[in-house]
Amino acid sequence: MTSAENRCSLCSEPAVVRLVEPERRLCAAHFIEDAETRVLAAMKRERMVSPGDRIAVGLSGGKDSTALLLLLHRFLPTLGADLVAVTVDEGIAGYREETIRAAGDQTEELGVEHAIVSFVDLFGDDLDGLLAGREAQGCTVCGVLRRRALAEGVKRVGATKLATGHNLDDEAQSILMNVLRGDLPRLLQDTSTGQPGHFVPRIKPLAVLSEKEIVTYLLLRAYYRDLPECPYAGTALRSEVRTMLSGLEHRHPGTMVRLMRFREGARGSFSSPEPAKALSTCRICGELTSGKVCQICRLLGREG
Amino acid sequence: MQIILPDRSVRTVSCTSAPIEEILLELGINPTTVIVVKNGRIVPEDVTVTEGDEIRIVRFSHGG
Repeated sequence: MTSAENRCSLCSEPAVVRLVEPERRLCAAHFIEDAETRVLAAMKRERMVSPGDRIAVGLSGGKDSTALLLLLHRFLPTLGADLVAVTVDEGIAGYREETIRAAGDQTEELGVEHAIVSFVDLFGDDLDGLLAGREAQGCTVCGVLRRRALAEGVKRVGATKLATGHNLDDEAQSILMNVLRGDLPRLLQDTSTGQPGHFVPRIKPLAVLSEKEIVTYLLLRAYYRDLPECPYAGTALRSEVRTMLSGLEHRHPGTMVRLMRFREGARGSFSSPEPAKALSTCRICGELTSGKVCQICRLLGREG
Repeated sequence: MQIILPDRSVRTVSCTSAPIEEILLELGINPTTVIVVKNGRIVPEDVTVTEGDEIRIVRFSHGG
């Protein structure tokens, strides 16, 4: 297709993207509108936000959470909800410093309240220190600790829900990873409702946009910053699945959306394979757990 | 045609006309993992490039 033929399906401006289902080419302005409309529609369809909600956005300062902050800053007032940002400082040398600066700049520019919780404060050491000698487990350990840190941040700012920047690629990768691990309970797990009195509901408004669409959106709105990648990112099964899935998405466009539909269908078709375990409190830290000692205390070797 | 690669190195390629997607695949780059800027504008990868064009390939970091 020549540049002259590459025109927006809705106007005569040059197209910046070509999207499928439905097939369309969009110029910068129409793509921004299209992406925002899809996110807002998903938020309404899945009733992610209720009037009076105080939504904490998990803001790393990276591309996804930046886009989420921009979109929620725009939509929440129209939905009668309030916005606050929570950043987790894991303490990853050469990576986190820059993204935390970016998060601070973004919240300051938009006038959004911003709280930072750190691994050092919560767990007594930074991630680099906690991982010494077991770097290959980086994503697993960090994932568990981050969840606790975000929950603590949400509690501190008094939020009713946590919004995370998981995009379509992240979600499709998770589905495939759960299938590859044979982990049906995790595949069916839905965190969007939370657990009254225990966990706040988690919402993922960006799950309708691919990583590429999010970067395009940020580039077009002049908010894209080329930040470093987490040094532990390449150590996970996720990076293998990401490569496989991006290849499939290229050869068979729509693969990621179909995986999402598969999970939706599975959640609707299966009843929970096992009843939810009753929660008790960890005998070491007092946090909620399904066993006697929580995963955090086990990971931190506090059982002693 | 000049190609600015994700690592910011520049490669000069001589071709009369080719879709960007074809060039990316020849470079071993999956088009779904990058954004392409042709002569300063973001374009879909099925757009063709010709002699004299400059394309910049933007690879984004994961996570965040």
